[in-house]
Amino acid sequence: MSDRDDLHHDAHNPHTHDESPVDHGELRDAAGHSIKDQSRSLPIPPTDDIITDGGRTLWGDAWYRLRKNKLAIAGLIWVIFVILVTLSADLWVKPYFGDPLAMDTTLGANLQPPSAEHIMGTDKLGRDVFARVVYGARISLTVGVIAVAISVAIGLIMGALSGYFGGFMDTLIMRGADVFLAFPYVLFAIALIAVLGPSYRNVFIAIGILGWPSIARVFRSSILSVKENEYIDAAKAMGAGHMRMIFRHIMPNAVAPIIVYGTMSIGGAIITEAALSFLGMGVQPPTPSWGLMLSDARPLMVRAPWLMLWPGFAILTTVLAFVLMGDGLRDALDVKMKD
Amino acid sequence: MSTLLEVRNLKTHFHTRDGVVKAVDGVNFNLEPGKTLAVVGESGSGKSVTALSIMRLIPKTTGVIGTDSDILFKGESVLGMDDAGVRSIRGNRIAMIFQDPMTSLNPVYRVGRQIGESLILHKGLKKKEADERAVELLDMVGIPHAGERAKDYPHQFSGGMRQRAMIAMALACDPDILIADEPTTALDVTIQAQILELMIELQERTGTAIIMITHDLGVVADMANEVMVMYAGKQIEYGTAEDVFYRPLHPYTWGLLESLPRHDVSEKGILLPITGQPPSLINVPSGCAFHPRCPYAKDVCHTQVPQLTSIEDGHSSACLFSGDPGFRRETASPSREVV
Amino acid sequence: MLKYLIRRVLQMIPVFLGVTMLLFILRAPGVLPGDPVRMITGERAISDTLRAQIVEEYGLDRPLPEQYVLYLGNLAKGDLGDSFQKSRPVVDILADKFPNTVKLALAAIVIEVIIGISAGIISAVKQYSLADVLTTLSTSILVAIPVFWLGMMLQLFFGILLKRWTGDTIYLPISGMTSNRFPDWAHMILPAITLASVSTAYVARIMRSQMLEALGQDYIRTAEAKGLSRRAVIWRHAMKNAMIPVVTFIGIDLGAMMAGAILTETIFNWPGVGYEIFVAIGQRDWPVVMGGVIFIVFAVMIVNLLVDLSYAVLDPRIRYGGAAE
Repeated sequence: MSDRDDLHHDAHNPHTHDESPVDHGELRDAAGHSIKDQSRSLPIPPTDDIITDGGRTLWGDAWYRLRKNKLAIAGLIWVIFVILVTLSADLWVKPYFGDPLAMDTTLGANLQPPSAEHIMGTDKLGRDVFARVVYGARISLTVGVIAVAISVAIGLIMGALSGYFGGFMDTLIMRGADVFLAFPYVLFAIALIAVLGPSYRNVFIAIGILGWPSIARVFRSSILSVKENEYIDAAKAMGAGHMRMIFRHIMPNAVAPIIVYGTMSIGGAIITEAALSFLGMGVQPPTPSWGLMLSDARPLMVRAPWLMLWPGFAILTTVLAFVLMGDGLRDALDVKMKD
Repeated sequence: MSTLLEVRNLKTHFHTRDGVVKAVDGVNFNLEPGKTLAVVGESGSGKSVTALSIMRLIPKTTGVIGTDSDILFKGESVLGMDDAGVRSIRGNRIAMIFQDPMTSLNPVYRVGRQIGESLILHKGLKKKEADERAVELLDMVGIPHAGERAKDYPHQFSGGMRQRAMIAMALACDPDILIADEPTTALDVTIQAQILELMIELQERTGTAIIMITHDLGVVADMANEVMVMYAGKQIEYGTAEDVFYRPLHPYTWGLLESLPRHDVSEKGILLPITGQPPSLINVPSGCAFHPRCPYAKDVCHTQVPQLTSIEDGHSSACLFSGDPGFRRETASPSREVV
Repeated sequence: MLKYLIRRVLQMIPVFLGVTMLLFILRAPGVLPGDPVRMITGERAISDTLRAQIVEEYGLDRPLPEQYVLYLGNLAKGDLGDSFQKSRPVVDILADKFPNTVKLALAAIVIEVIIGISAGIISAVKQYSLADVLTTLSTSILVAIPVFWLGMMLQLFFGILLKRWTGDTIYLPISGMTSNRFPDWAHMILPAITLASVSTAYVARIMRSQMLEALGQDYIRTAEAKGLSRRAVIWRHAMKNAMIPVVTFIGIDLGAMMAGAILTETIFNWPGVGYEIFVAIGQRDWPVVMGGVIFIVFAVMIVNLLVDLSYAVLDPRIRYGGAAE
């Protein structure tokens, strides 16, 4: 008898209405996949999906999926490795391989091919290329992280103002974002740095300022989608203030896409820094920057081809690591990318 | 009159990561020329997969049709045909319309062209002839100003008009069988009735046999000659429309009939609506697959698998108790009032 | 259709104004720490009289809105200032070089379209095959590769290593636009490949995902149910739908390529607008740098507008008013 009672309580389970027109596109399983899609390609009732997903949280679930993505994990490991190597460089690179800034003006000490003493050779000023590549990671990672932090900070403020208050503010900020996006990325950075003057600091300011529109758009659309949920009305009715609304109710929902965009942007920022330094609009000599090293290596291509190998390889692998991590996070957190 | 379509022991299984999904598991039926067979069941009961199996539209990568299964069209085995053979039947002798007319038409081609496409393919018509015939077909399915509307794109059509266009497309080559998979589910109630009337009218004119797939018995009440009720990939009741509607044998059919909106009020407390969810097709419940939801289930239902057994002449049921004369329900006319 | 065209052009106006205002603010006095006179004269010592003359001429002492109107007026006249290094109007210098930039961008688009689209289609139609895995892998790498390094590596390979290994033959020109050893078009090959690399990867990715999405649509099942062959289903029904976003991307990319040309042109000494900007950076010839940026930004915006308008031809949902939904 009690069995039967249980069955009654289930009478309103959405899946008995699975084929009614109203429900189309609305039903989502716990992972957010549209149930309609699944049932069409494979006509299994979606019940199992709902039931199996018990108490796991969004983050636990995402970590579980990320762990299974070998490429993303490889990217993560590479990034951690690069960070550890460059942070500990004072301890072992400087004493055993050489100071990245120490020139050696002895005759024949410059432009040496790779050897036991200088495993990646020396550059035109006799500096150890390996040491410069290792220390170059500091510049790249710092620019990447700080520039993206600036983008996220501006983007969050702009996105919050735009999405939360709407109306004229929204129009103004979104038109502003269009203006920024109308600029080709590197060109705007060049214009900005032409005015500010080329320097290490101005590079991440320029890249940081350039990145805000994408973050603002992502954050804005998160806010708009959350705003439509009823619990926001409920919170408002309970007298929650604007700040409280944004931080308690909206932020948690917007975190996932921002993490994905942020991770991918770091890779982009690293490439942009290298490009700007390469063009002479970025980090200035003698600071070891990968882009600058490539710029120095270019006229020496015939005499010392090894000079251009490692800085480029370092950029490629580091950026690739961030791209793979971003891809993995996107899939794990199930973030939909617009472009 | 020879049998148009014979389905023998059809088993369509999907091999998925989670296990083998027995979407269709041993289905038999015959279809005579000009008749209408209704296939009724909840989503996931295997009714759509049955239809797709007849069309040989099961994805080859995951779907497997049993080796002892057979589908005979005019005595010839559809399953034994090569791809070219199957394609010469598809859209020509057996045509199919789908549930969602919004997405079933290609958005980038004119409606007329999409209708004419099968005429060019199967009847060898020239483009211009096909266009002219498409206009006639649109006119036949009740599209006003068919000449102009044929030049429209699908997004310029309303939902009901798109389904009419789908019917026109399906009937273009004057097929022997029209398979309609939930053709009215995505439409408004009034439009539903119009589409059903249109199908009945066209069947009278063209003599096409129809396999009508639906989860809603009310939809087929006025047009079906025979009714097959499916549950968890198996047939659980089969008989003439009159038998199934007025003297249903299986408790599941009782539930389906009871869940229809009706003008007469049934005696309360005797019949129970179907509660719970359709079973997983990977782990089908032991014994009778319906037993967890059946209000009349006894211990024996947990262990013994009921076979489809002929109870009366041409009326069979797969319930262990269907042979029991006391285990009966008389129902009033299920014909639905059009609101 | 006409409504769409007008709307797109009107939408462009605030962006145009915003872009000019942003560029104006960048060099307006007192807004950023830079010296506006320096932006006009380039970095060299100038006499106080010349400085006063420039302040007067550009109205640098007048209120900002007035300066902005003056600035817009100059832009409208096509006046981007003068190069002090070359003693020529910036716009003339750029106009000379622009055709070369366009030529290179078009060559790159051809590569991007041919390789990107076919890789994407193969990858989608034969999902999970070796070809698919290789495509996915190489697109990830191409996205992460710095274009200027790719260009240098190509030069190293074709100009130096291949020559070393095979005796004394150079197979492809690695610099410049003309030479007496090779026909002119051959000079375009390596720069065009370099310029196209990242975009080709994106096109392949977009094509793949769009194709997969299109193949999963209901109308594909309808087409199959009609009895069309797999080939007809893919080429006639899936392709046209999948192509719309790809064409969108390629259009936008034509603009991005003109901008991206600065690195490629620099590497290959290709005498286009980008190379000119690079040279000007080295000479601190800021009028050319800023003028070049403005020039390319405007070119990009105009190309984007044209591309936007051309979607209408591809997508009937735009051509005949918005979709029903």
